[in-house]
Amino acid sequence: MRRLLFELEGTSAIAELHDDIVPDTCDAVWDILPVEGMSIHANWASREIMLHLQGDKILRLPPEGPSSHGIIAPGDIVYFWRAPQMSRGKQLAYSSEFERELSEFAIFYGDPSGVGLAASDPARGADPTLQVTTLFAHFVDLPVEFMNKCEAIRHEGLKRLVVKRYEP
Amino acid sequence: MTRVRIALGAVEAIAELDEVHAPETTAWLRRLLPIGNQAMHSMENGREVYALLDTRGPIPEENQTIYQCVGDLFVYHKPAIFVEPVWPRHVRAFPVIGFIYERDSAVRGMTGPLATNIVGRITRGLDALAHEAPRMRREGFGELAITAL
Repeated sequence: MRRLLFELEGTSAIAELHDDIVPDTCDAVWDILPVEGMSIHANWASREIMLHLQGDKILRLPPEGPSSHGIIAPGDIVYFWRAPQMSRGKQLAYSSEFERELSEFAIFYGDPSGVGLAASDPARGADPTLQVTTLFAHFVDLPVEFMNKCEAIRHEGLKRLVVKRYEP
Repeated sequence: MTRVRIALGAVEAIAELDEVHAPETTAWLRRLLPIGNQAMHSMENGREVYALLDTRGPIPEENQTIYQCVGDLFVYHKPAIFVEPVWPRHVRAFPVIGFIYERDSAVRGMTGPLATNIVGRITRGLDALAHEAPRMRREGFGELAITAL
């Protein structure tokens, strides 16, 4: 399995792609690496940070693999795309380009993951032209130092996150 | 009617306490004023900003709802795991005071809705809070201060 390296303020974590389950999504993600940007903390899904994809890194992928039915495990990494009309409110915390269409990595770094309003008011979207949620990787090495940096984004604001191919 | 000033970062708002429907809770809250603690943004409820209260409670049970509205000022026991990255050894919930500044928000616990005591309404400055909270999500959170007027 191919692996990803996440770097956040001097800390790092390693994830494994689900090549055997969602190969097309994994290929698409692999092809745009490295990606970097300012990660923001979630406010509906508990311990999640998001890396919005921008410019030539934006991915608009079709759904692939089994539905997770909105159930998230700590360590999951999800590709998420949302059509403009699916936006929840103004999203003023996001850069203006992400306030409508959104393409991102949703990175669930701790417990609880996916618990909160996101679980009881999930994004609607059986229609793949409106929203795509594909679980494509899972952390296999998630040090507490990396988790603490993710947590710090809640209080300290955006932090630069880099996602690379892990090829030791 | 008691009014309080809510200061979040660089902006201020005014709330009127609902002493008619929440007489015990508002009296309890007035005894805690002034409040000044780290402002925190909800990770689970949407557009909620809150601060821990310097008390263990209990919070009187009155004027509760699971259907919070934008501009409501409320108090409740927030599950500790939404505040701390790990469960504290003995504490399972923290008394907090918070407000909703934009729609698509509702207070949740680990398994479903949480009842909150509505203690007041933000009557002035809500729009300023609704811009300051997202700014602080991007740039970092300061203090949430609540003082009697």
